[in-house]
Amino acid sequence: MSTRKFSIFRYNPITPEVKPFMQEYTIEEPPGMTIFVALNKIREELDPTLMFDFVCRAAICGSCAMIINGKPRLACKTLTSDLKGTVTLMPLPVFKLIGDLSVDTGTWFRHLSVKTKSWIHSSKEFDPNAPEDRMDNETALEIYEAERCIECGCCIAGCVTANIREDFLGAAGINRVARFMVDPRDERSKEEYFDVIGSDEGAFGCMGLMACDDNCPMQLPLQLQLSFVRRKMVSFGLSIK
Amino acid sequence: MLVQKILTRNPKAELYYDLVELFTGITLVGFLWTHMLFVSTILLGSDLFNTLSKSLDDYYLSYVGIPFIVLVFIMHILSAGRRLPTRYQEQKIIWRHAKMLQGTDTWVWVFQAITGAAIFALASIHMFVVLTGWPITATTSAGRVEAFWWFYLVLLLLGEYHAGFGIYRQFVKWGWFPRKPLGYVSKLITVIILTLGVAALWVFLQLGGA
Repeated sequence: MSTRKFSIFRYNPITPEVKPFMQEYTIEEPPGMTIFVALNKIREELDPTLMFDFVCRAAICGSCAMIINGKPRLACKTLTSDLKGTVTLMPLPVFKLIGDLSVDTGTWFRHLSVKTKSWIHSSKEFDPNAPEDRMDNETALEIYEAERCIECGCCIAGCVTANIREDFLGAAGINRVARFMVDPRDERSKEEYFDVIGSDEGAFGCMGLMACDDNCPMQLPLQLQLSFVRRKMVSFGLSIK
Repeated sequence: MLVQKILTRNPKAELYYDLVELFTGITLVGFLWTHMLFVSTILLGSDLFNTLSKSLDDYYLSYVGIPFIVLVFIMHILSAGRRLPTRYQEQKIIWRHAKMLQGTDTWVWVFQAITGAAIFALASIHMFVVLTGWPITATTSAGRVEAFWWFYLVLLLLGEYHAGFGIYRQFVKWGWFPRKPLGYVSKLITVIILTLGVAALWVFLQLGGA
């Protein structure tokens, strides 16, 4: 069986006296091995102290995103056979580093949800016995398309603006707002939407480098979502007094 | 909330900045391409070049157009330049990030920032030299090119790079067209304008100064 060399970022914020360094591991490479499988193998066979995140191993939970050979990718969805030479693994930038490859995306996305007020704003009283209002299929599909986001953070890690501006909501945030803007049940006014995302923290902070669009593991149409929100924010912004 | 931020808050400021960046950018690209088409009339002969230059003068287009473009130029520097990080650590993050990601668009943007800063300096010199040597004739232009052909070649390359990718990026950001064909079209136009520009420089060099 062939072997594969890994170069993995090591740093633990609890022991800051140990400076960040790259550690190398070599393991056997069975056919069809993913980075997720490789990391577990390394932890089991070579180094029980290696920190990394995973939950579902099926590209649903978004926990195992990391920088694989320079690109933000999901470890569970990346086959080692698709990579050449030594595989270099780094944690995602922008998010708080827990240690080694493990980052806290939860706090960041929680902030995003609060900031963008990610819930349906409705004045209607909820009646559990009444049938739900119908939605046309086209609108439902548009909402589902945006909702496919698994909040892995690859778009945020790849974004230059998010890397230097901590308050930038990035493609994940703008995509989230787009989801509510097409939802007919959401009663938010133009002013409210503009207030949430009509600034450099939101739609106008994007410089159009499209690293989000290029690196989304779910292939969300992020360029279209970002430009849709940008155009909406211009029309909202210009029409409110 | 901090008092200085409450007192100075304008929720629409960033919207206007973004629109100014868009419109000044498009205007400058339009100007640059027209400018290069006008310059390349030298390929069809000095007489046509001189007639065009004189008629732009006679109809006051130069006198309205030049101050207008200077104003747009400054507004573009202020609106697009606001995105450029100046702190050491931010600079370092961007270079490290671009090297790591190896994303074409990210690298293109890094060079766009650099060419933007260079154009700021070089185009200012270019405008000063041309305006102090007014009016524009084939002979005076040929003299300038003969003495400083390398300056004009560098400015041409930087300007076309910045304009070609700038217009591409604006279209990407506003989502009017899909990315891929947009890239091809903007590269094609850039190559055409560059070819015309280099050819015009060559003809000026052959003409020689007075």
